Amino acid sequence: MIGRTVEIADDRRHLFVNRGFMVIKDTEGERKELGQVPLDDIAAVIANAHGLTYTNNLLVALAERGAPFVLCGPNHNAVGMLLPLDGHHVQAKRIEAQIAAGLPMHKRLWAAVVKSKLEQQAAALEAVAAPTAPLQALVAKVRSGDPENIEGQGARRYWGLLFGAEFRRDQSGDGLNALLNYGYTIVRSACARAVVAAGLHPSIGLHHSNDANAMRLVDDLMEPFRPIVDLKVWQLHKAGESHVTPDTKRALVRVLYDDMQTAAGVTPVMVCMQRLATSLAQVYLGERAKLDLPLPGLPLALAGSFEPD
Amino acid sequence: MLSGYRLMWMLVMFDLPVVEKAERQAATQFRNALLDMGFEMSQFSVYMRFCASQTQVDTLCRTVERALPSGGKVHIFQFTDKQYERAITYRGRSRQPTQKAPDQFDLF
Repeated sequence: MIGRTVEIADDRRHLFVNRGFMVIKDTEGERKELGQVPLDDIAAVIANAHGLTYTNNLLVALAERGAPFVLCGPNHNAVGMLLPLDGHHVQAKRIEAQIAAGLPMHKRLWAAVVKSKLEQQAAALEAVAAPTAPLQALVAKVRSGDPENIEGQGARRYWGLLFGAEFRRDQSGDGLNALLNYGYTIVRSACARAVVAAGLHPSIGLHHSNDANAMRLVDDLMEPFRPIVDLKVWQLHKAGESHVTPDTKRALVRVLYDDMQTAAGVTPVMVCMQRLATSLAQVYLGERAKLDLPLPGLPLALAGSFEPD
Repeated sequence: MLSGYRLMWMLVMFDLPVVEKAERQAATQFRNALLDMGFEMSQFSVYMRFCASQTQVDTLCRTVERALPSGGKVHIFQFTDKQYERAITYRGRSRQPTQKAPDQFDLF
């Protein structure tokens, strides 16, 4: 499904449910109703303000529909996500298959994800007219489970080639880093929704093994989609936009709706994530052999143009 | 792919009997069912909803069908966002701006 991303970024907001809608109301002044969004259309609610209030009813309604309620900390990093316990009608069977999957399968799947990520990174570099050979050379080197950490080697070269040698990726940084954080938060929430909707458990990852991370699988599956955000941030930066503003947010969220090339034709990024998560569940169940990863190459809208829309 | 030729609008129009108390109840129930599905009132007994795809329209048609009251007449119209752009609206004699399809990103 192609849903809407709703962000609440102002402190004076109260959210509640009225019939089939999430209603957003101002809590000061005339206490005006600012808008309503059909609950069934919501892909994710991003809560990015301090003084925000909401009813329990709303959280229940969102959970029933599998739409994550994302709690943002400072710098636009997602610190928490409210997801339903029950996301799919044969969920128990799928989680069982997920737990039963052996290490060799996980290693093989992780290698496929890393390859896809490197290909997407190379495509991003190609779009900004930077050398792609260093990344492309790494794709063939990825072995099952990525024991040489080719992913990390790729990242080291990638950031330098994309944003210049002086750029450092820093989760608490300002400017470009904050834009990247925001973009990843959006992609992560869409991926989390896809994982839960496919009946998989977000904590059972392919590779990410941080004991404290409850969203390992989400972080694994979002890897191939990160370069799309990177390229958008590059474009915004080129256009003189280096801060998180309503306009840059909008541009970053739009990325989810850009078309990507897949084996079954062009599909919005958001749908690509759903297909990837579903294909993973099918691999676990032995119904298919490979993941349904996007083909190398970026969304058409991004690849050709150096201008943000 | 999101384009004005694929984004859809649905319009549900109904004429329901409201003479008996039971009929009024059935009519209210139907109206509430439409609101629960995310339809917004455009005029009395005319409800509209924006849909991201034809699949969503088809699903909603079936849901509306399940909520139908026993009496009365109900129409469901479907058109693309491109067609909907051409709707002309007046309030009194003054012409209103055309309603835009909702953005995929809402910031409040």
